[in-house]
Amino acid sequence: MTRILSLIFIASITVSCSDNATETQLEQSAELPPTGTNAAIEIPAARTAGYNKERNAYFGDLHVHTMYSFDAFIFGTTSSPSDAYTFAKGGKITHPAGFDMQLDVPLDFYGVTDHAFYLGVLREMANPLSEISKHEVAAGMSTLGGSVQRGEKFNEILAFLRSPRASEVNDPVIGRSAWEDIIAAANRHNDPGNFTAFIGYEYTATYSDGGNLHRNVIYRDDVAPELPFSRLDSANPEDLWDWMDANREQGFESLAIPHNSNGSNGSMFMMTDFSGNPLDDAYADQRMRNEPLVEITQVKGTSDTHPALSPNDEWADFEIMPFQVASFRSSQPNGSYLREAYLNGLKNQEEKGANPYKFGIIGSSDTHNATYAGDEDDYWSKVGLRDSDGVRRGSVPLREPRAPGENYAETYFNTWSASGLAGVWAEENTRASIYDSFRRKETFGTSGTRMRVRFFAGYELPSIDDGDLISKAYDNGVAMGSDLLAYAGRKPEFIAWVSRDPNSAALQRLQIIKGWMEDGEAMEEVYDVACSDGGIVDSITHRCPDNGAQVNLDDCSITSGLGAAELRANWSDPDYDAAQNAFYYVRAMENPTCRWSTWDAIRAGVEPRPDMAATLQERAWSSPIWITPVQ
Amino acid sequence: MGRLVAQPLLWFVVISLCIFILDDLMPEARDEIIVSDAQKDRIALLWKTQTGADASIQELDSLVDNWIQEEVLFREALRLGLDQDDSIVRRRLVQKLGFIAEAQMGSEPEISELESYYSQNIVNYTLPLRYSFRQLYFTDQVSAQAQLGQAKLGEDISSTGTTSMLNDAYAFRSELDIDATFGSGFSSQLIGLSVLEWQGPIKSSFGYHLVYVTNIHAEEAAPLNSVLDSVGSDYQQFQKMNARQRYVDALLDDYLIRYEGQ
Repeated sequence: MTRILSLIFIASITVSCSDNATETQLEQSAELPPTGTNAAIEIPAARTAGYNKERNAYFGDLHVHTMYSFDAFIFGTTSSPSDAYTFAKGGKITHPAGFDMQLDVPLDFYGVTDHAFYLGVLREMANPLSEISKHEVAAGMSTLGGSVQRGEKFNEILAFLRSPRASEVNDPVIGRSAWEDIIAAANRHNDPGNFTAFIGYEYTATYSDGGNLHRNVIYRDDVAPELPFSRLDSANPEDLWDWMDANREQGFESLAIPHNSNGSNGSMFMMTDFSGNPLDDAYADQRMRNEPLVEITQVKGTSDTHPALSPNDEWADFEIMPFQVASFRSSQPNGSYLREAYLNGLKNQEEKGANPYKFGIIGSSDTHNATYAGDEDDYWSKVGLRDSDGVRRGSVPLREPRAPGENYAETYFNTWSASGLAGVWAEENTRASIYDSFRRKETFGTSGTRMRVRFFAGYELPSIDDGDLISKAYDNGVAMGSDLLAYAGRKPEFIAWVSRDPNSAALQRLQIIKGWMEDGEAMEEVYDVACSDGGIVDSITHRCPDNGAQVNLDDCSITSGLGAAELRANWSDPDYDAAQNAFYYVRAMENPTCRWSTWDAIRAGVEPRPDMAATLQERAWSSPIWITPVQ
Repeated sequence: MGRLVAQPLLWFVVISLCIFILDDLMPEARDEIIVSDAQKDRIALLWKTQTGADASIQELDSLVDNWIQEEVLFREALRLGLDQDDSIVRRRLVQKLGFIAEAQMGSEPEISELESYYSQNIVNYTLPLRYSFRQLYFTDQVSAQAQLGQAKLGEDISSTGTTSMLNDAYAFRSELDIDATFGSGFSSQLIGLSVLEWQGPIKSSFGYHLVYVTNIHAEEAAPLNSVLDSVGSDYQQFQKMNARQRYVDALLDDYLIRYEGQ
C-alpha cells in the first residue's frame, strides 16, 4: 500500500519532467562497450618513418605502478597513468618526497601495470566523500602522514585484505572506473612511429606458502576486457591462462610476464602444476601460449641465476634479493631462477616430452612511483616516501643508531637494485611490431643501461665482418628466442654482438651461456666469446683476461680508455654434441661502475656502506636459442 | 458544501479511503522483470569471457536466476534511494553522461576545420632543429684523420670505416636523438659544420666519426599533411571537450545558481 502511494507520488513527479526520447537514446548509447569496439577487420597500417626490415632496438618498461595500485597510493604516489606515460616520453613528474624525476633519454615503449586487486580502492578510501571511506579499515586514510605512519597503515590494510572480510572493500565499480582510465591513458599516449603505450595490469597471486606468482598482463591492441582477472578471481595462474585464452577468442590478445621468480620460494618454476600433477604437453602449450616472456631483472633483484645454483659462474652473485617478496623470509633458490628453469624445461622435455619453460627474456623496473628505477646515479627506488632517500634505504647511516652497532636502517630496500629495462628488436615503434617481437621472443633484458644485443644461430652464417651481416643472418639463421634443429654431423654457428650504451660505461666482455642435458643430467657452462682491450679468450678456462677497469669510490669516476664500444664474435661450441638438447643465451657485461648505494653515500658525504657491494657490472641478457636433436 | 470542498484534509481522507478499498478489491499489481533473449545472450557471453567455457543449460538457468535476484535488489536499492549521496555512483553517472555528451560532437571534420585548428595550435606541431647525415666510424683517431685526408683529395671513402651497430646514415634526427645514439655531447659538435663534405673526426662514446651532413633542418612547423593523423586526433579530443562543455552549458541554462550567504 505505502508502495503504491509512493509510486503514485514518484510517477507524478517524473512524468512531468522526463523526456522519453532522450532517455531511450541515452540508454542505447550507454549499452555500447565503454572500452572500445572489438574490430574484427584490421586494415594494414602504413609503415612509420623509422621502419627497418632488419629491425631496430627499442627500449621500454613494462612494469609500472601508479596511484591506482593499493600499495603505491598509500606510499604517497598520486601520479596517474597519464602522468606516467608523459614521464616515459621525456616529461617531468614530482616524487612524493618533493623532488623532480625525469629521464635523460625518453623510453620507446611503456606499459602501466597496476595491481588488479583492489584497483583504485585505497585512493577511494582517502576520498572522504566516498562510501568506502566510511569503512573501519579506511580510518585515517584521508589524513596520511609520513613514511612510518604510512607503513603501519599499509600493514594494517594488508592484514585486512588477507582476512576473510577482504571482500567488504573490493568494489568492482571503483576498479572499473580506474581500469577505463588506464585504457584511455594508454590509447591517448600511443603514438605510432614515436612511442608505444601498452594497456596492461598486474595479476598479483601468491602461492599457499607465501611464494610469489606475480605476472604482468600486456594487451596488444587498444581494447581490453571489462575488468582485469585478479587474485580475487583465482590464485591459480592456470585460471588466468584459461581467462586469457577465452579472451583471445573474443579478440583481446594478451600475454603474461612473470616477475620476481627470485622471491617466489620455488613456486614460479615448479616441476608440477598448481595441483601437483606432472607438467604435460597441455600444460606446456598453455603456459607458453600465454607466457612467452619472463622478467629477469627489476628493482627487487635479478633472477638470472644464484651462486648456489651456478657455483662455477663467477658472475652469478649479481643483485641477489634473498627474500620472499615483501618479507624477511628467505626464498629458496630452487625453482626461483631462470637458468635453472631453462634446464628443468629440457629435463622435463626428455622425461615427459614437454618443455613448459621455453620463455624469452626482458627486464623492467616495477616502479611504484609512476616513473622508472633503473639509473644507478639517479635512483628513486620504488615505494614512494618509504625509500625515498639513502637513510631510508639503508645506504646512508641513520642520524642516530637504533642500537649499538645498528648504524643503518635494516629494511628489504637494502637488497634492492637500480634495475630493469626491456629491449626488443622490431621493425618499427608500433604496438603491432613490438608486440610481435614479444611473441617471437626476439627480446633482451638489461640491468638498466641501453646495451643492444644481437644473437643468431644457423648453419651458414656470414662472417662477423660482413657488411651485410644482419640481413644474411636473418636469411640463413634464426634470431634470439627461436629454435634450431640439430642434425648429426653438422655443427651450428653463432653470431653474438653487443653495442654499448653511449651514455654508460664501455663493454668488458661478451659471453654465451650454455645449458644442456647429458645422460639425463642438467649441465651448464659460461663461455667468454669476445674480450675488450685486445684480450684473447683462454681456450681451457674460456675466460678473457681481466681488463683492469677500476672505479674510484671517491667520486665514481672510472678508468678511462678501457673497454670496448662493441664486442662481437662468430662462435661455435667447442663441446657441441648434436644428440643433446641444449639452449644458449648471451650475457654482455660493462666495465664496473658505482652502484646506487655508493652514489647515495658520496652525495651524503659518507663512506659507502661496507656490507653492500660498492660497484657493479651492468649487463644484458638475450633470450635463448634452443637446439633440439631431430628425432 | 463549499466549506467541505475547501477542506484538504477531508479530501485526503476520502481519496485515501477509496484507494484502500480499491487496493483490497484489486489483485496486487506487480512490477515486471522481463528476461529478454538479448539479456540472456549477454549473460551467457559474460560467463564465457570469464570462464572460457559455454554455460550449460543448468548453469545458464542459475545465472539467469542470479541476474533476476540482482535486478530485484538493484531496483529496491534505487527505490530506497541508496544511489543518493554516494560519490562513486555519482561519479559513475556523471562519467557516463560525459561520454554520451562527448559522442555528440558531430560529423567527420572538414579539412578546412583541421587547417584552422592546426594553424591555431602550430606550436604543438613544430619540429626542433634536426640533422640528416652519413657517418663513418673508426675506432682510432689516426685512421679517421687519414681517411679524411683521402676524401679531401677527392677519393670516395664511403666504404671505409669499421662496421658497427650504428647506421651508415641518419635522417631527420633531433639533438636529443643524436645524443641518445652517440652519447651526450655529440650533437653539439655538429653545430656549425658545413654541408655536403666529409668533416671530423668527431669523438663519440664509440670512437671517432667522419660526418657528411646532407641537410640541416631548421626548427619549423611540420607540414599539415605529415601530421594529419595527430592533428585529426587532437582536434577530435578538442571537439569532445567542446561538446561536453556545450552540453554542460545548455544544462546550466536551466538552473539558477545561488551561493549561500550571498
